[in-house]
Amino acid sequence: MMDKMIFGRYVPAESVLHRMDPRSKLVLIFLFVCIVFLANNMLTYGLLTVYTFLMIALSKVPIRFIYTGLKPVLLLVIFTLFLHLFLTKEGEVLFRLGWITIYEEGLRQGIFISLRFFLLILMTSILTLTTTPIEITDGLESLLAPLNKIKFPVHELALMMSISLRFIPTLMQETDKIMKAQTARGVDFSSGPIKERIKAIIPLLIPLFVSSFKRAEELAVAMESRGYRGGEGRTKYRQLSWGLKDTAMLAMLAALTLVLILLRT
Amino acid sequence: MKSGLRTIDLTLAGMFVALMAVGANITSFVPFMVIGGVPITLQTFFAILAGAILGSRLGAITMAVYAFAGLAGAPVFSKFGGGFASLLSPTFGFILSFIFAAYVTGKLIERKKSVPVYITAALIGMVINYVFGTNWMYMAYKLWFTAPEGFTYQMAWLWMAVPLPKDIILSVFAGLMAHRLEHRVFASSQFRKMNRAA
Repeated sequence: MMDKMIFGRYVPAESVLHRMDPRSKLVLIFLFVCIVFLANNMLTYGLLTVYTFLMIALSKVPIRFIYTGLKPVLLLVIFTLFLHLFLTKEGEVLFRLGWITIYEEGLRQGIFISLRFFLLILMTSILTLTTTPIEITDGLESLLAPLNKIKFPVHELALMMSISLRFIPTLMQETDKIMKAQTARGVDFSSGPIKERIKAIIPLLIPLFVSSFKRAEELAVAMESRGYRGGEGRTKYRQLSWGLKDTAMLAMLAALTLVLILLRT
Repeated sequence: MKSGLRTIDLTLAGMFVALMAVGANITSFVPFMVIGGVPITLQTFFAILAGAILGSRLGAITMAVYAFAGLAGAPVFSKFGGGFASLLSPTFGFILSFIFAAYVTGKLIERKKSVPVYITAALIGMVINYVFGTNWMYMAYKLWFTAPEGFTYQMAWLWMAVPLPKDIILSVFAGLMAHRLEHRVFASSQFRKMNRAA
């Protein structure tokens, strides 16, 4: 359990994608999600697939990690394929066996739509596999900064995200500790009727809430006594830098978009 | 601060997001909530508590931060899920609905703090969670997967009828617990009295 929590989704490696600015990666993924819908024939889907696998190769993330991340959604992809295979009734009949009839359009639609979904999942997974949550938070804060003008609290949002990232492992350990302490006092968490089990949450959650609210209070006091007063004029420890590789990557995606527009039917 | 958020609000919201992460995966800590082989998440339960304890505005902000933290790759969703790809999952609507559920629950409780109000507010929060989430799921199947005619609106709701009874029980329980926490613990707590930051 603990190993999953510590690693989250990020896989450390030395690659171009790991070293890219989180801002350019976020923009890249956002654009990719848009252009995926441009593809509508064999050639364009083929190009997108080649691009996605090129990105996976560039990320140097072992296939094993990508597969683990994909496992839960793979079922959904297969489900989509079959939904289209059996329920779309257009085009020529390709295959008939008992009550199952497969139409040409169903096969085409099924393959294209599940492939589109599969590519989207792959690309978005690459983002979180090569970027730590804290980098994404910094990137988001910087990208959304213009929203500050319309009084949207961008800095505060990013800070809340960082605080929660910092305290997720702490609170998980705390939950574990409280559970053990209450079991030692005789609370039975694992058996009994449903009503009793729900009641058993109380001795777990009340101490958890009280301790986490106490932590929040202490943290706020500590921040204010060190002179925290919001985002204005605040300097940063982690600096973001936009380099040549970021521009190059975006240019490559722009070229892909252009080719897709030219080749789509 | 111009956003009207005190430092304590920021730390409370951050802490509550971490609490949500625990609640979503409660079965990995305590095996007590696996009923009929299905692990139960306490996400709706915590979303309702966020609205009830932190208030409508901060509760909703907290749930938005929760969604963002999950998208950024922190393992905060159920089954330690997370990552940008969760945006494409048909069940992402439930995570978005927590924002509205927390807001409405908080708004109702801010008017009157009695036990029946807490329970009603919690149940309304749960209804919002279901209506928004199920409609999103239906739309997601229609849009992302371009599901053909055979996939009907009724099918989506039939799917959601299974976990409904346990969520009703948990929501009533959330209402009762929020009332208890409010009156026994937080009414005398420091953070309610802290001054607004400069």
